[in-house]
Amino acid sequence: MTPALAETGAYGIGSPATAEEIAGWNIDIRPDGKGLPPGSGSVEDGEMMYEQQCASCHGSFGEGVGRYPVLSGGEGTLTEERPEKTVGSFWPYASTLWDYIHRAMPFTQPQSLTDEEVYAITAYVLYLNDLVEDDFVLTADNLASIEMPNQDGFFLDDRPDTNNTGCMENCKDPASVKITSEPTMTTLQVEETVAAVEAAPEGGEKVYQQACLMCHGAGVAGSPMTGDAAAWKDRIAQGRDKMLSNAINGIGVMPAKGGQGQLSDDEVASAVDYMIRQVTQD
Amino acid sequence: MFSKPGSGPAVLRKVTQEASKVDPAKRRDFLKKGLMVAGGAIAGTQFASTLHASQNNLPPNLPEWSKSLGAGVITNPYGKPSPFEGDIVRRTVPWLTADRIAAISFTPLAELDGIITPSGLVFERYHAGVPTINPDEYRLMIHGLVERPLVFTIDDLRRFPSTSAINFLECPANGGMEWRGAQMDALQFTHGMISCCEWTGVLLSTLLEEVGIKPEAKWILAEGSDGAHMSRSIPIEKALDDTLIVYAQNGEPLRPEQGYPVRIFNPGWEGNTSVKWLRRLEVGDKPWYHREETSKYTDLLADGRARKFSYIQEGNSVVTFPCPERPLKEKGRYELEGLAWSGNGKIKRVDVSFDGGVNWQQARLKGLVLPKALTRFSLDFTWDGSPALIQSRSTDETGYVQPTYTQLREARGSSSIYHKNAIHTWRLHADGTVTNVQIS
Repeated sequence: MTPALAETGAYGIGSPATAEEIAGWNIDIRPDGKGLPPGSGSVEDGEMMYEQQCASCHGSFGEGVGRYPVLSGGEGTLTEERPEKTVGSFWPYASTLWDYIHRAMPFTQPQSLTDEEVYAITAYVLYLNDLVEDDFVLTADNLASIEMPNQDGFFLDDRPDTNNTGCMENCKDPASVKITSEPTMTTLQVEETVAAVEAAPEGGEKVYQQACLMCHGAGVAGSPMTGDAAAWKDRIAQGRDKMLSNAINGIGVMPAKGGQGQLSDDEVASAVDYMIRQVTQD
Repeated sequence: MFSKPGSGPAVLRKVTQEASKVDPAKRRDFLKKGLMVAGGAIAGTQFASTLHASQNNLPPNLPEWSKSLGAGVITNPYGKPSPFEGDIVRRTVPWLTADRIAAISFTPLAELDGIITPSGLVFERYHAGVPTINPDEYRLMIHGLVERPLVFTIDDLRRFPSTSAINFLECPANGGMEWRGAQMDALQFTHGMISCCEWTGVLLSTLLEEVGIKPEAKWILAEGSDGAHMSRSIPIEKALDDTLIVYAQNGEPLRPEQGYPVRIFNPGWEGNTSVKWLRRLEVGDKPWYHREETSKYTDLLADGRARKFSYIQEGNSVVTFPCPERPLKEKGRYELEGLAWSGNGKIKRVDVSFDGGVNWQQARLKGLVLPKALTRFSLDFTWDGSPALIQSRSTDETGYVQPTYTQLREARGSSSIYHKNAIHTWRLHADGTVTNVQIS
């Protein structure tokens, strides 16, 4: 089908993007608020949603669980030895928060939140960072006016900022050359490396890595940790059918199929069997 | 040590099993010695006959493989390396990230030759794992401040005139865990967030001409279609320069791990700007300040300010032989080798030091010297068995000389995470082993 001439460029390749097609993918938000859909959300509503959708990785207070990102705190730490860069202490714009939560979160089910939910959860995260009051309602009209503490903390690239010379001889006093640091974690690294170089994972392990590892690998959100026989004891006692049903339908904080709805029941079963093997086989 | 490929994993398993029984304070030394005697440790095992040179297969005898036929054609329709090279793989460092989905793996630089990274060994960096994209369902949308917003299929993209370029792809966090001190004991982990491939596609400038960008256009937002939908703002000057919309890598379709079927590619720039699994380019007049250019990929300095839009990967280099994965077995003549690269153009020269930077010798540049690409350097030397502190220092065509750790930290402090391109030191011990150190 040839598009009308006015709709093509010199090569005449490609199809016109319809307004509907664009609307479906045009999700970016700018600091001036451009791109925000109509809607609003309160800190009050956001609290419950955050607890359900976010807290298992980010912590009820935004303190971060395991190695998942810390969202709050860290004010005034940017010049310290170990700065804590969070939404409140580091991010320049609130629009970034709305944009990111909407495009990429929750981690296992991106773009599953409604616009209203994104407004509410964004409001709550701002509240966790003491940037709004507990009765605050975030809207398309007021988001751009929220001033973030580190708004002026960024500057454009002005490198190069070093000027080493091409010295070739007697560049420093040989006596000044001293070893100041060496690795201390060789053994741990090697053992972990060995684990990573094992033969290509079979089906069950592959699904496990994709859908289950991120919570069960560290026992996040109260999930039984892989390989922890004590944690799995009661589950195994309930029988494979029950464990399979929990995995497929979800249970408690665990989403159905670990949030990977595209997996078949058989694939989920292979991952469950893999996890069972980790606590039953020697 | 790792004298025979394929024996690596088995050797490491045995040695670390033994090492775990040793007092932690003595573990490092045990590991070092353990690796050295591992050759003897496995001598009596099944491996020995296949991996250590069996007398039966050496001249004047006829080796096993010379006495019969081998596999026929298309036994492997898509060929793989010899099983004896099974040690040459990507690896990850589990403690760096919360999971393997938003994570990184490293290119095995020590085992590679030339400047091209084989596609299956190019390091990975994901924020939501690798999506499975049906090429028939793939679309690239370009809209915003344009005369004609358009949607392209892969066939459409391939109909435009194509361009190929050999360029490095480096994550700005390459070596980032060493800002405060030496942490990794393998070249793969100190410098492995880098690769160099031939990238083929259509110039973004050609596509922008096709959609017709408006005069007020100043920025492009590139957005991916994986779960993370990663997005980065790219200045129009770069977009109209050498930025490519890539669909082929080293001659064949782009690999899923590198963005199949289409990615954007910005030569010489932070790898993160080369968005994979590209779905949309929006033309705008202001930058978007999204998460991967504010929360992440900005460089915090000691005074609390942070550099933003630090796109260029500055001049860097590292010695790849000798290195921890490739120690010296005996005294004598060797060819030291390494890699150098600069996002600002070609490498002009590389100097090597054996005494921790007191005196330097100029190395030879070997093979192709291309702008914004990995460049091989080498230097003949004779090892007399003395310990040494080996360094390399690159100078690029702009005259920029690779800085020392001291100079970098003076300029930026130690909390930048990104853009650590300091002169790197390998400590060569009298027994031929090589370890990572930082020196004053």
